[in-house]
Amino acid sequence: MSGSAQSYHAHAHTSNSTTNSTSNNDNSSGKTMRRLGSASMFLFLILAAVVTLFPIYMALLNSVKTQGEMLTNILALPTTLEFGNYADAFRKTDYMRSLWNTVVVAAVGLAGIILFASMAGYKLSRTPGKLSSFLFGLFVMSTLIPFHSIMITLVRISSDMGLQGSAVGLGLLYIGLGVAVAIFLYHGFVKSVPKELDEAAVIDGCGEFKLYFVVILPLLLPITATIAILNMLWMWNDFLLPLLILTDFKSYTLLLSTNMLFGEYNNDWSAILASLVLAMLPVIVLYLLLQKYILHGISEGAIKS
Amino acid sequence: MMTTRTRKLKPSAMLLLFVLPALAFYCAFTLAPAIGGIWYSLTDWNGLNPAYRMVGFSNYVEAMGDRFFLKSLWFTFKFVAFMLVLQNAIAILLALFIEAMGRSRVWFRTIFFMPNMLSLIIGGFMWMFIFTRVFPYLADQTGWLLLDESWIGDPKYSFFSILALSLWGGVGYLMVIYIAALQGVPKTLKEAASIDGAGAFTLFRHVTLPMIYPALTIGVFLTLNSSFKVFDAVYSLTGGGPGRSTQVIAINIFEEAFSFSNRYGYASAKAMILFGIVMIITIIQLAVMKRREVRA
Repeated sequence: MSGSAQSYHAHAHTSNSTTNSTSNNDNSSGKTMRRLGSASMFLFLILAAVVTLFPIYMALLNSVKTQGEMLTNILALPTTLEFGNYADAFRKTDYMRSLWNTVVVAAVGLAGIILFASMAGYKLSRTPGKLSSFLFGLFVMSTLIPFHSIMITLVRISSDMGLQGSAVGLGLLYIGLGVAVAIFLYHGFVKSVPKELDEAAVIDGCGEFKLYFVVILPLLLPITATIAILNMLWMWNDFLLPLLILTDFKSYTLLLSTNMLFGEYNNDWSAILASLVLAMLPVIVLYLLLQKYILHGISEGAIKS
Repeated sequence: MMTTRTRKLKPSAMLLLFVLPALAFYCAFTLAPAIGGIWYSLTDWNGLNPAYRMVGFSNYVEAMGDRFFLKSLWFTFKFVAFMLVLQNAIAILLALFIEAMGRSRVWFRTIFFMPNMLSLIIGGFMWMFIFTRVFPYLADQTGWLLLDESWIGDPKYSFFSILALSLWGGVGYLMVIYIAALQGVPKTLKEAASIDGAGAFTLFRHVTLPMIYPALTIGVFLTLNSSFKVFDAVYSLTGGGPGRSTQVIAINIFEEAFSFSNRYGYASAKAMILFGIVMIITIIQLAVMKRREVRA
């Protein structure tokens, strides 16, 4: 369809211009060239997709094989399904508890970041003056500091405050690490919310906090979704901070218990691969369900910050 | 008189009330550790002993003569250079090709972005399986000697294993950004150029690329920012080894502080050097790209 439309354009062009004698020639070969190009692009994408999925496929495939079968043919489909690997991994990583810990960390962090950052971002955006821009600058300033430059002292502070070894404690740390970027995003978004709304509500005798919770917060939903997705992904997949903060097995997140299993059973690939699949599962399911929002949130967040 | 005063006071008091919770968390877990990091980098604090002395800039001087730290700097710079070119080039290529597809584009986008959803710890262990189990098997079957190299154990090759893992995990993110940018390029512009006889490459070089320049700025910025701080990919594949041959800056700092010596003060100085490098490069990059953007 688009090919014929283009050739129509090109044709119209040549008939109009008297000087271009070669372009007719170009056009007929250009069409086949374009088709060839499109086919080779498709082929390239297929190849890239195979490479991308290969490790995940191999992990899935070999997670249901016995160790012996894996050794004889690593690429073949399994002859019998060995779900014992999964039972093994489930037990060794204490899967349900690790999953629960991960959820707690992300929930505490997310709730704090969204609530506190939206409050601050909203008020900072609405209030003019030196104090407001100073505070905003204070938050924005830190976005360039690499995590490694603060981690050593952060570990010290969190152990002094008794947050070490607790999933809730880790969630609290994430609030402090995550609010700055979220405030920046809220600050920009609030500018698009008409000020007249605030004034009308105040005239109606609405208090400041009621105004924020009842009128403003629901209007911030689009940017809240973006912020929630970005922070959720970050906290769910972060490894270094949990490694430093969650010091005992009881508080391990999914990544930490998977890492531990990998370290302890270095050559038992059946159990390791099963644990990798188990660790991936929640994320992949969520991704396939919410893909549209996630991809939108990612590009939105990247462009705005 | 009274009313005007309360009115004047109220906005800033309200402001503080709204900002306070965020500010408290931010000060405790970002600002204080950052300032603490600068402070401790000037001391000989070892983490175990509560007492420490000020040692001035001697930690910084020592770091500049620390063979392993300098090696990790060099390794990181090499990694960043490769990532900068490859990650952006591959992401743009994928975005261009996907945008040229019909109905299959949704599938491709879903697949290429998927690794980005996973932690590079998980991804690293999966690739470890590929490098140490699948590759030797394939080498046996096909006789390709390249597959039989020590992709994890030999630093000459494991650099590329780390690179491959990082690209696998990172390309999809940039691809999404480039796709969004490409969708913003007006169709009429491309059509006009192809009517004028522009080939695919000329079209890209003179029409598409200038139009997606802002996205390229973001892509370069994000790549620089993440690859200087690379940790997970190295930790899961080689752990910095064998020996210290594949250590990146972040691993070197991590080990200095938490594994080998507990020299918190010295490790803090290294962390500040990393901060300085990231700052300088970001500023240079933003200045250069902004200038080119204006010209384009």
